[in-house]
Amino acid sequence: MTRSAAARAALALAVLVPLLLLAAAAGLSLGAGNASIASALRGVQPDATLVLRLRLPRVLLAAEVGAALSIAGATLQALLRNPLADPFVFGLSGGAAIGAALAVAAGGTVVGTATVAAATWVGLLPAQLAAVLGALAAALLVVALGRSRGQLRPERALLVGVVFNSFASALVLSLEAILAPEKTQAVLLWLSGTLGYETGPVLSAAGVSVLLPALVLTALAGRLNLLALGEEGAAALGIDVEATRLICFVASSAAVGAAVALTGLVGFVGLVVPHGVRLFVGPDHRVVLPASAVAGAAFLVLADAAARILFRGLGAEPPVGAVTAVIGAPLFVFLLRRRA
Amino acid sequence: MSEPALELTDVRFRHPGATRDALSGATLRMDAGEIVGVVGPNAAGKSTLARLAATLLAPSSGLVRLGGGEARELSRRERAKRVAFLAQDEPGDLPFTAREIALMGRAPHLGLWALEGESDRARARAALEELDAAHLSDRPVSQLSGGERKRVYLARTFAQGAPILVLDEPTDALDLRHQARLVEALRARTRRGGCALLVMHDLSLAGSACDRVVLLDEGKIAAAGTPDEVLRAELLERVYGAALDVFAHPRSGRPLVTVKITPGRA
Repeated sequence: MTRSAAARAALALAVLVPLLLLAAAAGLSLGAGNASIASALRGVQPDATLVLRLRLPRVLLAAEVGAALSIAGATLQALLRNPLADPFVFGLSGGAAIGAALAVAAGGTVVGTATVAAATWVGLLPAQLAAVLGALAAALLVVALGRSRGQLRPERALLVGVVFNSFASALVLSLEAILAPEKTQAVLLWLSGTLGYETGPVLSAAGVSVLLPALVLTALAGRLNLLALGEEGAAALGIDVEATRLICFVASSAAVGAAVALTGLVGFVGLVVPHGVRLFVGPDHRVVLPASAVAGAAFLVLADAAARILFRGLGAEPPVGAVTAVIGAPLFVFLLRRRA
Repeated sequence: MSEPALELTDVRFRHPGATRDALSGATLRMDAGEIVGVVGPNAAGKSTLARLAATLLAPSSGLVRLGGGEARELSRRERAKRVAFLAQDEPGDLPFTAREIALMGRAPHLGLWALEGESDRARARAALEELDAAHLSDRPVSQLSGGERKRVYLARTFAQGAPILVLDEPTDALDLRHQARLVEALRARTRRGGCALLVMHDLSLAGSACDRVVLLDEGKIAAAGTPDEVLRAELLERVYGAALDVFAHPRSGRPLVTVKITPGRA
């Protein structure tokens, strides 16, 4: 077992990519009603509409968001040297939530119009832009408050993140109280983590805002390994610890911001997926990061398919964030016990 | 005279917020082929000196030169190619295997994606073998004993391929066989033109392993020279504040230092 990191990453992807395709096939054919991909491709109705127009965008969105949350979760766990770190515990999603809620609340006002203009200019939706900015602001805040004597203290940063997240949900709930009822409904749905039907341009924009950070993070994965040795240990091996950390935080925030803007708060993906992946591929981030991205995509596609199947029994579709939490919490406990 | 491998000139360091210097005005020169021991009581500034030599701390004043270049003008990566560092307490709870830890030593030589090649793997393998740790390759360091883990982290500094090694208590936790093995391995490296700065507590081991010894006391160099010059009873008793005996080794003549403790009944 002396394969190189590149070979091990290729092997992990050779297993996971087919799994993702299977998950996508399940996501396309399962739902409130069954549909056949084969007949959809032949243009048979209603399968064609159901599969290609309704389910395909949703499967793509689930894959993008799952990949973003998982790779960001794996990165944050490395940066903070804490297995419990994930976009949610860390405050990134809280920041994104505040940003997006503010954008919704400001709709129609001068600020709202300005946000729309700015967002259009960079090619994003207003809520998306605000969420990305919110996530970045939260990351900077957590890193700033998590420092002492010029060094980042991972346990301190984590505590700040937890506190900040509670603060953020309180703030979002307060915003909600002053919103018009129809906006409240939108915010509530969004907070619980819901996959909607996004248009092609939005999906491509989200794809780019997930892929770019994923590439940056994978390139820095070897340096993330060295951070496990501590700041001094990494510096002794020639790593610019501060710069590496900053780039990783910004890249994770960008990925999480884009994901949260589209789906709201989908929890547990960033926590459970990297833990599960490490169980199979070991701790090397050059393998863990790309594998987490693909496994996370598959996980959320399946969770979304499960949510749609539940529609049959419940008569209503639970938000996908509820499904990931219901699957994720016990799975996480199981993984923790396996590791110990 | 040739360019020294490592040179500290009147180096002073004070930790932020501290009221006194951890190290005040140390001057030290190490040439290729030398093994230099740093000894002294607790909190004498040994680890601070090691970190300054490894350029992990920047001196409050004074100059550090590595292989003829001023340390502060070199990039972090360039410095890591010239000097490798072992901390006194490397992390013990990592999930990485011994092989992965040894390979981390190659980091300063890798490109953007940080992927090792066959030569990097060969160097890591050789370093593990040099320290009798090759059989631990596939085991996570979190499952190793203290001494085994020390050898793995030492292998990381060996694999780094830097001519200067700065090792903070490298023999700590090593059993006698592996202490001897480490000293042999260090000598083999110095014969090939490397050099090593070792922070040590065992004065007898320092006396036999090192070409020169630096004795630190309260942040200052109290004495520096050959083991015979530095490891003298009256000097050590004053610096350590303990009653000591110093003997000459019957064959090598090198100083052996023991604490004066009256053998007692339990």
